[in-house]
Amino acid sequence: MFVVRRWWNQYALKTGLVALMVVAALGMRETGGAAIYELYRWATSPFHPGPSRAAMLQSSYAQELQQRLVELESQNRSLRQVVEGDAVPLAAGTPAAVIGRSAGDWWQQIIISRGSSDGIDADDIVTGPGGLIGRVVAVSPHSSRVLLVSDPTSRVGARVSRSRATGYIRGEMGQQVVMEFFDKIPDVKVGDVVTTSAYSQLFPQDIPIGRVVDLDLSKSPAPEVTVELTSPLNIVEWVTVIPFEPKSVEIPAVDAPASQEIIPNRAAEDNLAP
Amino acid sequence: MTPARTSSLALRRRYRWLNLAVVIGSALICVMLLPMRLPGMVLLGVGPSWLLIWLVAWSVQRTSVEGAIAGFILGLVQDGLTGYFPTHTLGLTLAGFLTARIQKQRFIQEDFVSVAIIVFAMTVIAQTMMALQISAHQLIISSSPYPSLPEIWLQHQRIALSSAILSSLWAPAVYYPLSRWWAHYEQVMTPPGG
Repeated sequence: MFVVRRWWNQYALKTGLVALMVVAALGMRETGGAAIYELYRWATSPFHPGPSRAAMLQSSYAQELQQRLVELESQNRSLRQVVEGDAVPLAAGTPAAVIGRSAGDWWQQIIISRGSSDGIDADDIVTGPGGLIGRVVAVSPHSSRVLLVSDPTSRVGARVSRSRATGYIRGEMGQQVVMEFFDKIPDVKVGDVVTTSAYSQLFPQDIPIGRVVDLDLSKSPAPEVTVELTSPLNIVEWVTVIPFEPKSVEIPAVDAPASQEIIPNRAAEDNLAP
Repeated sequence: MTPARTSSLALRRRYRWLNLAVVIGSALICVMLLPMRLPGMVLLGVGPSWLLIWLVAWSVQRTSVEGAIAGFILGLVQDGLTGYFPTHTLGLTLAGFLTARIQKQRFIQEDFVSVAIIVFAMTVIAQTMMALQISAHQLIISSSPYPSLPEIWLQHQRIALSSAILSSLWAPAVYYPLSRWWAHYEQVMTPPGG
């Protein structure tokens, strides 16, 4: 008893401090470091990227192209409506500056300058110059953390836009990612454009991802190709966050086996969603 | 009680709070440096392990229990900043424990080079713990999202080496002010004549 009391007299303050620290650290862990990211955003706010002169000139050219694209898209939509009925258009996005990179070396993440007070939720989609960038995984009031497409745990349902061969993309911690196909003999060649697929639950369809640069079709168990991402993930400064609700898993009714035949890869991909 | 003695007591109390502020403040600065990628802080896409540098600076003059506790707390914080798996707590706890066990005063001279070497070794150990966790996940769980073992260890080579080089180069920037402060603090806190 005496030993315990002496120990307590000597170390009471230290023990209290350690306990306080552990509780604070646990809280930090549970909230995804929200307090630290808020502080970080506030401290780095003078250094957030603003538009440069060259970037403005570039963006006016890009705007011209975009306006043409809008025209083409609207034509395309009206034609598509004739062919296959109405599709849900994407909601307008929120622009956000990239203010930080992943705090650990084994993750591929970015920190952006908008958070829940700007209407951003977890599972929102992040795109940027060049197409798909990633998905929001954690939000604090004024910043959010985005899991990049290049993270090894990231899975994106994708398809080759020319041949509609579907598969999924997994990150390899770099600018190049690997696409695995569900078919044994997919119709794909070098230079094909890869976009998100309509069967993906976590991403809306038809967002450009990248271009096929290398083929390995003999790979077992599934053929795979290397895809070079079009968005420069390591130098990207501005991104757009698009609100997106992950689709719920639809369990096909027992008396409707026809739907499974139309979409043979649906079930396989549903299991992949992390 | 003489006035000189009371003033020294008040001074010591103030220094205790100041020390707490320095410890927490410096650790917080290191945490805030983690998401930053300033010029000179990136090698092959990897930045220095700021928390590990801070941990080594903390642990070299302390007991292994103190080193391990600090490593555990910092690991929890870094987990919050990135993700729960693989956890940083294992690597940082081990690094804090081992650094304190080295007993620097006895085996290695007190200078920047030896601290840089310790940081280098501890970074490699901490990153190896991360790679081991991912490998175990890959081996045990069949639907693991992680790539195959050769790829993991190839990444480990890239991350561990560049992170270790950068961390050991930046180590003096964290270690020097902290060690100076703690030396000064010890001087103030030791009772006169004791």
